[in-house]
Amino acid sequence: MFDYRRFAVQKLAGLGPRFLPFADVASDPVPLSRLLRLSLFQVTVGMALVLMVGTLNRVMIVELQVPATLVAVMLALPLVFAPFRALIGHKSDTFQSALGLRRLPYIFKGTMLQFGGFAIMPFALLVLSGYGEAVDAPRWIGLSSAALAFLLVGAGVHVVQTVGLALATDLVPVEDQPKVVGLMYVMLLVGMIVSAFAFGALLENYTPGRLIQVIQGCAVVTIVLNGIAMWKQEARSRDRAAAPPAQTGFAESWGRLSARPGTLRLLAIIALGTAGFGMADVLLEPFGGQVLQMTVAQTTRLTVVLAFGSLVGFGLASRWLGRGAQALDVAMLGALIGVPAFGGIILSAMALSMPVLVGATLAAGFGAGLFSHGTLTATMRAAPRDQIGLALGAWGAVQTTAAGISIAAGGVIRDLVLLARPAGQSPADAYIPIFALEILLLVLAFVVVLPLLRRGTTDRMDHKTRADLAAREV
Amino acid sequence: MSNDPDKVWPTGLTLKEAEEVHSYLIDGTRVFGVIALIAHLLVAVSTPWLG
Repeated sequence: MFDYRRFAVQKLAGLGPRFLPFADVASDPVPLSRLLRLSLFQVTVGMALVLMVGTLNRVMIVELQVPATLVAVMLALPLVFAPFRALIGHKSDTFQSALGLRRLPYIFKGTMLQFGGFAIMPFALLVLSGYGEAVDAPRWIGLSSAALAFLLVGAGVHVVQTVGLALATDLVPVEDQPKVVGLMYVMLLVGMIVSAFAFGALLENYTPGRLIQVIQGCAVVTIVLNGIAMWKQEARSRDRAAAPPAQTGFAESWGRLSARPGTLRLLAIIALGTAGFGMADVLLEPFGGQVLQMTVAQTTRLTVVLAFGSLVGFGLASRWLGRGAQALDVAMLGALIGVPAFGGIILSAMALSMPVLVGATLAAGFGAGLFSHGTLTATMRAAPRDQIGLALGAWGAVQTTAAGISIAAGGVIRDLVLLARPAGQSPADAYIPIFALEILLLVLAFVVVLPLLRRGTTDRMDHKTRADLAAREV
Repeated sequence: MSNDPDKVWPTGLTLKEAEEVHSYLIDGTRVFGVIALIAHLLVAVSTPWLG
């Protein structure tokens, strides 16, 4: 008699491994298509950033009439978690797993946090704005649930980006890292641009129902894209499961990483340079509008020019670094281009010349692209094999915090100067100190990096330590 | 299928590995459950659907 049970089980067992999200074996050369697929998680990160900082910023203030200060506080909340990126990275480095996984469980959890935040966000915002019967509801319900939604999305983005970058670093050999870094940045930019256009088109005729659809659709897209990105990327390893990584504490592990020559200096450069380039991000458009009297369409194009400059920067940096350039040299070239670029922006305010502003913006974007690419590649190259998560977590913590603080500081400085000066003064006076401050920060970054450049040690030393580690592992 | 008593038949995972895969499933279910609960509460606050 035909044994149905046995037949079914055999079929299932044959299918089984295909439906498990981890790879069975680590294949050595990772093809570009797989890296492209992995970089999809950056698209969801970009989407989340645009939705929160761009779209919801506007929707909350204009359509939902939430006070602007409250909106600013809500949007700044995820920044609170930024320093924990280092801790998350460390935890994924030392994760105990019977399957020998390190990154996948964290990406899964991060994706769930992101999804959960988006799932409750539209309702939280509607309650916060007093939609329908929520007018009579106690105020704390709307406040706390909106805060929870933003915290969840923010925490999810931090986890996914940190651990995703660590996984990418795990997967590719040192010489391919510049390619991966370029890919990650480009995909982040692509995600931001595409989703900005998509949200704009979808929310053109705003209704509360449409808001719910868009944000929850965003949640679904997040989980689908992250799922595709992570599918069978990390190999399970019975070796690692049999000999799990040593349970070192965070402080000890951090001490070991920061004791390596150049690590702290590199983090300082990242903080200074990111703050230097970041301040202009949100001020460029109001600057163009208030000082040069550009229209909304023109200032939007200014942001496109900035993004295009970054894109060219990422591309060229990938090329140079792939041919063996030193990562820090490229980063510093970026900072050095940034100095005259911001000088040009100041000049454009004095000469009231739009071509000068566009050219300077392009150069600033180009410099920012080179700088971001160079510093992330330097971080990856400098990371010891067993501390990749921690090193990239530290990079993310410093980078996100610096960017957040600089954007906030730029806005605050502008408003204070505008307040302090009587009306009738040129609005340019409020912007010039900020651009001057950016130049100062970039020069400082260059000064900090000089000793590293002269020694020229970071990259070479790392090949050596990496070879040592590899030898020890064998 | 296999003579290894530690192997969970028929997937070829060991008992510990299977438990780990299962733990992710449980975690996910819990998180989704809590999220769904909060979302339903919030909807009920703005548009009471229980009358």
